Amino acid sequence: MLETVELRKEFKGKTAVDDVSLYLNKGESVGLLGPNGAGKSTTISMISSLVKPTKGDVRLHGRSVIKQPQDIRKVLGVVPQEIALYEELSAYENLTFFGRLYKLKGAALESKIQETLEMVGLRERQKELIKTFSGGMKRRINIAAALLHDPEIVIMDEPTVGIDPQSRTHILDTVRLLNREKGTTVLYTSHYMEEVEQLCNRMYIMDHGRIIASGTHEELQRILSGEDTLLIQLNAPSQGLIQELQQLEPVRRAEETDNGLKLIVTKQSNILTAVVQAAERQRVQIINIHVHTPSLEDVFLHLTGRTLRD
Amino acid sequence: MVPDLLAQWMKERRSPYLLLTFIGLSVLAVVLFGMSSEGKTKIDVFLAEGTSEAEAAGWIERLNKSEAFEFVLRDEEPARAEVREGRAMAAVQLLPDDYRIVAAVDEIQGLLAERHVDTVFRQELQLRAAAERSGDPERFRLDAERILQNPPLTLHAAAPDGGEIVSYDMGLQLMFGFALFLAMFTIGSKINAVNAEKTSGIWNRMILSPVRKTQMYLGHLTYGFAAGFLQLAIVYLIFLYGFGFDLGGRFGMLLIVSALYTVAAVALAMLIAGMTKTPVQFNMVYPSVVPIFPLISGAYMPPGTITNDVLLVIGEFVPLTHAMDALLGIALYDAGWGDIFLPLAKLLLFAVICMGVGINLVERGRR
Repeated sequence: MLETVELRKEFKGKTAVDDVSLYLNKGESVGLLGPNGAGKSTTISMISSLVKPTKGDVRLHGRSVIKQPQDIRKVLGVVPQEIALYEELSAYENLTFFGRLYKLKGAALESKIQETLEMVGLRERQKELIKTFSGGMKRRINIAAALLHDPEIVIMDEPTVGIDPQSRTHILDTVRLLNREKGTTVLYTSHYMEEVEQLCNRMYIMDHGRIIASGTHEELQRILSGEDTLLIQLNAPSQGLIQELQQLEPVRRAEETDNGLKLIVTKQSNILTAVVQAAERQRVQIINIHVHTPSLEDVFLHLTGRTLRD
Repeated sequence: MVPDLLAQWMKERRSPYLLLTFIGLSVLAVVLFGMSSEGKTKIDVFLAEGTSEAEAAGWIERLNKSEAFEFVLRDEEPARAEVREGRAMAAVQLLPDDYRIVAAVDEIQGLLAERHVDTVFRQELQLRAAAERSGDPERFRLDAERILQNPPLTLHAAAPDGGEIVSYDMGLQLMFGFALFLAMFTIGSKINAVNAEKTSGIWNRMILSPVRKTQMYLGHLTYGFAAGFLQLAIVYLIFLYGFGFDLGGRFGMLLIVSALYTVAAVALAMLIAGMTKTPVQFNMVYPSVVPIFPLISGAYMPPGTITNDVLLVIGEFVPLTHAMDALLGIALYDAGWGDIFLPLAKLLLFAVICMGVGINLVERGRR
């Protein structure tokens, strides 16, 4: 349905997005994952025709939309990262304004406003001014404003940044509802791994402007199928133990955690005895050892050498 | 365009205080500066040794028959300080049957004041000398006053077209000056909404909607124009009906000139919006630039005060200069369209250039 072909954007000689190719099938929910500054927002700005790419193409149903942006704008609903609302107006007045931009009028407009307010759970607060809302409530209205014209594709740029858990749950429920019940195609960017894991069928992982991995949850986890993660709880922190374990051949990575350490080791390596012996030598007591199946967070760490929130 | 206009109106309706404040300030400024002493320039008078207060009162009474100046008795030190520190253009020291003008610089208002004082003294001393020679000074004075009321020879001054010479109304000039100046702030605050919408992401949302770019700009420009023009019209009406100002009887023409000025002011605000990227930057630059305009254009000063060639050239690039020329021409000198064609053409040219460059800069900033 929608694809980008070797999309590139350079700002003053610096490459923000480097040959990004991705696609979205109709009705899919696709995640675009990456830390801050990875190039996610620039990529979606190019997809939504707000920024012209330096090179590459964006195609809707196989047709380029770079020169004819109206084609994609008709089917697109964009939820920007910033709160793109009039703070001085009420939620209802804001939605009226955005609905009118899409030529909605009278009963049709009223019905869409009430429907989207219901969807984001703020129908009872519609007469209140946006400036009196919490960050989470503003983000929910920000989403509602992008859904008034029933877009076929919704692009959400980090819609849950800095909000309360209740609003976050609401937003995630809204995205699920849109995708699973209404069949809307969703491109969801975030640096929260667990959100993308919950919401998306497939995902692209971006770092430094490039896509470094893509696939379903299972496909990505398979990148680490040759590794196990050991979470070791200690009675006291020990840099000596970390250093000693790093010397062991099966250990790919060893790092300190809040209450002990985390080891990434080659799968089925018989390392537990060596760990216990090293702990004795370093005079620290092991309280618990947990063998952990790799998560997407671990995949990201493996691919980039840093965590998503770095 | 319509949704954008409605959104701006909804915001205005919720918080109309800025527009009301600037209307109030326009009225207050004219009342404070334009209507005090009915537009007369105040000149301090102080006494030299040997001059009695009764004698001084007589001279001040004669001096105050002027339509342009108001003479006020004051102590010597504060009167001299006012001149020394540039707050007053001149002061008058009264000597027994003589006077001395105290001034820091040579300028036209000082020279006019000196000419008036000189005429009053010369006339009075001539009358006194003649009265003494007549043998009956009191009777001579009465006769002289009677003859002067119905003189055998009168000098009639007329305008080049043979009409009455119009006495200059400084209060009216200040009314136009303050109204036009303060309307720029209202217009600036409305056009700054473009920067605010760009920063908040609303602008991008509108770009993604079926609304065309032209309609987006037209929405903001029309709203900025409407707010500025409405403010000007309200201020004129307050002074016309509330304070009884004589606006020359051609209110429609004044409104058309004001509309053109408002277009130029909107264009200037758009230029500054294009040069700045955020509403905060706009709010720093715009209020720093705009207050210079009335000073350069001489909106607060009597005509002919600014003589510096550089300032006069800079003044040509200020819309206030041309709007004031046209408005005062209509209100004071009964000017027709042909007479005010040049200032109107300059306003239009200014508007076209600023608007073109401004919108171009806004678009470049977005890319």
